[in-house]
This record gives sequence, C-alpha cells and structure tokens, in this order.
Amino acid sequence: MKRMTLARAFQLFFLLVFLVLFVKTEYRGSDTISAAINSFFRADPLVLVSYLAATRSFSWLLLPAVLTLLFTALLGRFFCGWICPLGTVLDLVTWRIKKSSPIRLLQGNLKYWLLLPIISSAFFQVNLSGILDPIAILVRALTFFLYPIFGDAVRSSWVGMYRLLGERRDHLAPAFAIFRDHLLPFRETFYPLAFLSATIFFAIIFLERYESRNWCKNLCPLGTLLGLFSRLSPLKRLPANLCSDCQACRSACPTAFDQDLLQSDACILCMQCRLACRQKRVKFIFARPLRGGGPMLPERRVLLGGLFSGFLLAGSFRFRRPEAEARLLRPPGAGSEAEFLKKCVRCGECMKVCLTGALYPAIAQGGIEGVFTPVVTPRLGYCEYNCSLCGQVCPTAAIPNLPIAQKRRAVIGKAVFDRNHCLPFARKTNCIVCEEHCPIPDKAIRSEVVQELDQSGRIIILQKPYLVEDLCNGCGICENVCPLDGKSGIEVFAVKDKTPLREELFVTGKEEGKEMVNGGVKEGTYTEDPYR
Amino acid sequence: MKRRVFLKVVGLSALCHRWLLPEAFAAAQPLVAVAQGKDHARVTRNAIAALGGMRRFVKKGDLVVVKPNIGWDRTSEQAANTNPVVVRAIVEEALRAGARKVKVFDRPCNDERRCYVNSGMTAALKDMKNVELKYIEKERFKKVALNGKVLSEWELYDEALNADVFINVPVAKHHGLTKVTLGLKNVMGVMGGKRGSIHRNIDEALADVNRVLKSHLVVVDATRILTAHGPQGGKLRDVKILNQVLASMDIVAVDAYATTLFGRRPEEISVTVAAYQRGLGEMDLKKVRVVRV
Repeated sequence: MKRMTLARAFQLFFLLVFLVLFVKTEYRGSDTISAAINSFFRADPLVLVSYLAATRSFSWLLLPAVLTLLFTALLGRFFCGWICPLGTVLDLVTWRIKKSSPIRLLQGNLKYWLLLPIISSAFFQVNLSGILDPIAILVRALTFFLYPIFGDAVRSSWVGMYRLLGERRDHLAPAFAIFRDHLLPFRETFYPLAFLSATIFFAIIFLERYESRNWCKNLCPLGTLLGLFSRLSPLKRLPANLCSDCQACRSACPTAFDQDLLQSDACILCMQCRLACRQKRVKFIFARPLRGGGPMLPERRVLLGGLFSGFLLAGSFRFRRPEAEARLLRPPGAGSEAEFLKKCVRCGECMKVCLTGALYPAIAQGGIEGVFTPVVTPRLGYCEYNCSLCGQVCPTAAIPNLPIAQKRRAVIGKAVFDRNHCLPFARKTNCIVCEEHCPIPDKAIRSEVVQELDQSGRIIILQKPYLVEDLCNGCGICENVCPLDGKSGIEVFAVKDKTPLREELFVTGKEEGKEMVNGGVKEGTYTEDPYR
Repeated sequence: MKRRVFLKVVGLSALCHRWLLPEAFAAAQPLVAVAQGKDHARVTRNAIAALGGMRRFVKKGDLVVVKPNIGWDRTSEQAANTNPVVVRAIVEEALRAGARKVKVFDRPCNDERRCYVNSGMTAALKDMKNVELKYIEKERFKKVALNGKVLSEWELYDEALNADVFINVPVAKHHGLTKVTLGLKNVMGVMGGKRGSIHRNIDEALADVNRVLKSHLVVVDATRILTAHGPQGGKLRDVKILNQVLASMDIVAVDAYATTLFGRRPEEISVTVAAYQRGLGEMDLKKVRVVRV
C-alpha cells in the first residue's frame, strides 16, 4: 500500500463513514433513521443529472450533489480520489494485484459511450444510471451478497453453538446480543441477483489486473461526468507533462499519465505524484484555465452518437410481460410505475432496511429497465403497518418519506382471495389467519358466518373471509401468513389506481377518548359483534 | 392449670376450625382472584397475594418464564398486548420470591423488534437485574410429543419447557375466530412452526398444547380490554378500561371468568369448553371461588 497522505486519510475516513452508515441503515429500535447511506447518493452528481433529465424537475434532497458538482468545477475530480468508497476499495486492493498491459478496447471514448446514452435515455424516460453508478454497485454488492453471507455465517455459528452447548450458550448471549443489535442484519434474507451484483463488483476488481483504477479511468460514468466538469477547474498540476529526466509520475499516477501529457480530466487529485517527485517539482496551484488540457467536450461524433444511442436504448427495453407486471408491487407511497422508474437509483437501500424482508430486487418483472428495482414480495415478507423506513432511506424519494399516518393509507396493491385454495372455501375448514393479521383497525379482511354441510352431511359453522377493498392497502401480511403450503389462498395484485385509503377510516378513536376512559362506554354498545 | 390449658386449646382449635374447615375444602375448589384499581402494579400484586403470594409458586433459585402477549406492533393503550406495568410487577414479585432468573418472551406476529419496543415492554424491563427480555430463536424449538386429540406432536420453545415456573400473562381481548383470546390461547406464543394452521381445529389443538405445557400461574391483564377487531385492534373506541387484573392457578377458570368481562358466557367460547372437557380446569363459575380485592 502506498504511503499515507491526506488524500488517503480522507479516503479511509469516508470508507469508514460509508460502512458505518451502511450498517446503520437498519431498524435499531427507533421509528426514524437519522443518518443512512442515502447521503452518499444525495451527493452523487450522476444521480442528480439523471434525475434532472428524467423528471425534469429538481429535488432539494439532491442539493449535496449540486455542491459536489460545484466543487468539482473548482477543484477537479477530488471525489474520485478522496471520497468515493469504491475507489478506496480499489486503492486498497490494487497494489496486491500484478498488472499486465492495459486493454486497448477500454481506453479512449468508451466511457463516453457509457455515460452519454445513460443520460440521454434518462431524458427519454428510462433512467438506467443506477445500474452503473459506482456507489450503487458497491451498496448492492454489500446488500445482496456480502452482508447476507456475513450475517448467515455468524448466525449459523451461533446456532451451531447451541447444538454444541445447549442451554449453556446463554452465558455468551450478552456478547452475541451486542453483535446482533449493532452489526448483524437482523433477518437472514437472501436476494435474487446476488450473483450478478457480486459479479459486477468483482469484475471491477478483476479489471485492476490490467491497470490501476481501470474502472474509474475508463468506464465509471460518474467519474466521466466529474471529468467533464473538472475541465473547468482552475486547480492545475504542474508541470503539465512528464519531465524528460525522471518520468517517475508515470508509475506513481494511478489514472492520468498514460500519455506524456497529464490528462487533467482523469486526475483524481490523489497527489501521489507530489509524494513521488524527488526533485520537488510537482505543485498543485490555482491558475486560469490553460489551453491544451484536451477539449471541453468529447468529439462531436461521440457526443451525438452517444446521445442518439440513448434514445434508441430507451426504446429497446420497454417490453413488459403483463402477467409479471400484475405482481409488480412497489413500496408504499411510490407513484405510478413510470414515475417510480424515473427516480429509482436501484441502490438497494430500501431492501436492506425493510423490516420484514419484503423487498427484493426485480429480475424481469419490470422489464429490463426495471432490473434491481425493489418489489414487494408478500409471500416472503410484508409491509409493516407502522414502519416507514424505506421512504426514509430512499435517496431520491422514489419511495416518498411519508408521515406514518399517510404511509398506512398508501396503497401498494389490493388483496384477492383465491377460493380454489383458501381453506374455508376449498376445504371447508375454519382459518381466518389473514383476518387476524390484517392491521387495518376496521379490518380490510372480514368474515361472514355461514352454515354448511361437511363431507358426512353434518351441519358445520364456517367463517368465510372476504375483502373490503376500500380498506385494503395491499400490505401483504395476509398473503405472508396464510398457513397453506406454497401458494397462498390470498394474494396481493398491483392496481393502477393507487389513491390512498380515505383518511376518515383511520380515526384512531382518541377523539372519543374522554367518553371511554373509566369504562364509560355503555354496556352492550362496545361489541361490534359479527357472531351474534 | 392443666385443665385450663386443655380448655384453651380445645376452644381455640374449635374456633380455628370454623374458619379453617371451609379453607380446606376451598383448596379443592378453584380460586380466581380479581383485583381492581388504577395503580396497575399494585393491582397485580394484590391479585397474586390473594392466591397466597408469589412464594407459593416461585421457590428460591427457580428459573421463571413470564409469557405475556407481545404479539403486535401496537402501543399499550391499544390493548393488543399485555400491559407492561402488569408484566413488570409480576417480574418483580418473582424476583422477590427468590427467582434466580426471569425470562420474558413471546413469538410475535409483527416484527419482534417493533413489538417489544412499541408495546412498552423494552422500556418497562430495562435495567432490571436477572431479567431477560428475549427474542425467540428458531433453533430452540423442540419437537414435543403431545399425543393429543388433533396434534400428535408440535414444536414448543425449550426455554418455556425448561422453566421451573411458567407464568402465563395474557391480555383479555376479542378475537375473530375464538371470540375472545385469553390464557389458553396465549400459549400459542411458544409454539413453533406454522402455528396458523392449527386454526382449523383450534379448540382441541389448544387443549392439546396446554395439557403438556402447564401454566403454573395465570395472570390475566384486564386493565383495559379490546372488545372488537381483535386480536390487533388499533382504534381506541374498541378499548374498554376495566382496571382489573385476574389471577388463578386454574387456567380454564380464569379464562371463564374473564369471558364474562366481555358480556359473554364461558359456554360460548369453544376453546374454554374444549379445555374443560379435557379436564384442564373448571369452567362452571358457580363452582369457582371468586375473591375480590
């Protein structure tokens, strides 16, 4: 590893902040999460630019990203060399990886062919920036792959200790509780696309075989975007090219000295060159923008071609299978599907924070343009009635941060009974576990008591459930708890009309509280009793 | 002198007999203590005292499990969970009686972290020595032979099975299927597996489980009861404040009495009837001695 510099200290500090925020993006006993990993995305200009292009409106949540851009225009790509956690990870591993020669294919304009189509297709309503955003790539690799495996490994050994020690394991319980409450994922959730997320992440590390910071220099769309802005920067590294007598910068510089001339849009201000310079010639000074550091924009062919291919890209991913879309349940409060896709960064934070493990990355349900976006999967987890964490951590408010009273009324979908499976209908046995669990105070699932004959002709009393559609918010707990094996007897389906449930249905009764205290309710008036 | 002593002894013992004799009979007759008052901790202690005090159940060095209902992500006033004040009072009594350790847990229906926090249980039991408010851990469920009418075996929680004293602390509330849910049904919280599936035959299934996992003491929290939209509720208009705590060693008797708080008769509750028919306790309230304190 290279020597400690101020830049290195910042890198390690931000990596630590990143990891702490990652672990803290979880329910830890409070209804609100004050600081989450979303701050990194809110300071991410790629998120900002694609958001602006797709929604054609600004969100104050993304103000930090505006600042990042301003500072980039002032200082250059400091973000890449001082802050970006993926860059730091690469710096931490790259010195152990032996380099062969760079891949020609990756060099040159390829980075623009990635960045420009992403931005222009966002303009044509398909925002794919999250797929290649470096921070999203890192968070997804952690959320879907590394963290679950880490959690599972620790928990399995904890379970193994029970097999070994039995009740005596309790002596170690306090130590484990600290681990569980502060470090581990609470639930063992495994995700689809874990393999893909991991593959992307490890492929980026694999690219370090060819040259250092290969991804950052040749591919990363965020880095490329910052590179464009860095050309405005008056902060210059002098001398601007390699000195003929030394050339040590070529090996010291991780990104910008492929040629004899410093590529200022690739300089990440790590300042390793200054450290390596024996003659103490290297300086970073503010000067008026000098000519000769390369053109402001990529050549016209690339610029127009990149923008046009984004238009083509936007059109090519649109197909969706209707039967998959019927179960495309978005987190609570998300607007129409089109609105949601414009804003979602696919960072996976909502899925990480989800209390019950209800959210999973879409594979094909939402078409290719929906890959990695969150989908409620009720059979695995339901939307907890009093929880609004996904909205709190969403960096772009694709899932809005609703006050809890509003979130309860937000419609995810509507439940539908399947009478061919549901026990009271299909097998004439009582059940109503769904009614029991329905969190709506007035119950969106109710049941009627009917008399029927069983197989031997005896009269039996059955409670047959039905849905009150006006009260159902589609939280999916009914589908989750249905005691049938495999397929549930009740399932939540997506609906076009996501108008929130009517507010008056959710009056808690506090208004009538005075009358009620001291048992003031009159005898006989309190039982809204369906069984009498 | 001797004669005087003799007369004294005879006289006194006769006097004692007048009181002691019914008590001796009463030992066979199930007893339900009903305590009322606004100080719920004190009411709880009074109810237990009326049964003879916690020392009757908890011996020095015992491992005690207190099983409240912490099933739902609801606040205490919404009456879906056991009142944490009641639970704390029971825990304190158990410690005072010499319990080595008191464990409190439930297997909630909602997210367990939210249930424990929002029910008020975490705050109520915080910083108490030798008290553990624990999450259920899957690996600790053990298949137990029930040899019952409908359940031949089921997974039960080992910490509940291993306890020296199992104290069952339900909240009295309405339930969509069983009409009310009380002590007999509260035991579902230590059942593993897909427990929702016992609903198809819940009366006998609960009797099967309660026959094996005996509650040494049942304390029913009726400080406020949920009268409709149970077992979760959510609206305060469904909550009725009674300021009562019931205690008994007879789970059927205390359930039967609690049923009357809802304006119902014990015979209407098939869970109670099934347990009674299986000999788990007395449901005829005429045969139950109710002590009000």
